[in-house]
Amino acid sequence: MAERPMWEQVGTSFVHLYYQRFDSSRVELSALYTDASCLSWEGQQFQGKTAIMEKLMSLPFQKIQHSITSQDHQPAPDNCILSMVVGQLKVDNDPVMGFHQLFVLKNISDNWVCTNDIFRLALYNFA
Amino acid sequence: MSDGDYDYLIKFLALGDSGVGKTSILYQYTDGKFNSRFITTVGIDFREKRVVYRSNGPDGIIGRGQRIHLQLWDTAGQERFRSLTTAFFRDAMGFLLLFDLTNEQSFLNVRNWISQLQMHAYCENPDIVLCGNKSDMEDQRMVKEEEAKELAEKYGIPYFETSAANGTNVSKAVETLLDLIMKRMERCVDKSWIPEGVVRSNGHSSTEQLHEDKDKGKCGC
Repeated sequence: MAERPMWEQVGTSFVHLYYQRFDSSRVELSALYTDASCLSWEGQQFQGKTAIMEKLMSLPFQKIQHSITSQDHQPAPDNCILSMVVGQLKVDNDPVMGFHQLFVLKNISDNWVCTNDIFRLALYNFA
Repeated sequence: MSDGDYDYLIKFLALGDSGVGKTSILYQYTDGKFNSRFITTVGIDFREKRVVYRSNGPDGIIGRGQRIHLQLWDTAGQERFRSLTTAFFRDAMGFLLLFDLTNEQSFLNVRNWISQLQMHAYCENPDIVLCGNKSDMEDQRMVKEEEAKELAEKYGIPYFETSAANGTNVSKAVETLLDLIMKRMERCVDKSWIPEGVVRSNGHSSTEQLHEDKDKGKCGC
């Protein structure tokens, strides 16, 4: 059996690490962003590690749990990797909600970091 | 349930912090049950109920019953990820604002919810009923009834202590909200439908006096 392509391996390990940190120790996500990273969170834009972490740390819940339904990874220009995640999340005692998240990953001095991150809840009748 | 056989379709929203019992109270109202299980909702989530509304006219005369199709909307919890948008509040005519009597923070946040409503609802003073929920958990109460009443009075809105678990005051809260909406509609109808001259200008222009005129006007259609 052929080895999985590099972008698949990097993409899946990134996704695994990202949500593990998000669910258990959000503050550690900071290592995955750079000062040039962009985050779009439900339509709101943040640029740079500091602004992104400020947003992520300010989300008002105690517990969050992500469950990944599917993930897709592609090689992208400039040696980047494009990843899309579809899943569900549960926050404290709220109902389960669907979400979509898209990442662009880039290798900077031997580390894979996230340069772009777009997050949306999958809600259709709430606007 | 959603056939067109009704006089009015009225949309209510349940608002308030997470965990105050929005879903449970709506469930109790429409189904008369308390569902403490975790209900999975993705996206759309509203419950419906048909009621008959009778306005109390002057001299206690009860008018013709209006068939109301009530839609009760809930949030999916998306308010933790971003503020609710104008689109979410769209078309909602009345608001059930809930807090948890056993959680002081949820009570303190009532002010924020009201300012959100003033910003996003269809007008600056929409009809709101405040509910202190979980009144069955008296031993864990953190918010005094007087405090809550005082706040409600400050905003000029009715207050009820409800229990989604045993049903106390749940119907009453929803019915009070419906009453406010119907009164408001009557006032609007009075202003726009009744030709000038019909409204007595001798100072007796209260809505009570106009009920009869309006009802007559409506029967003709």
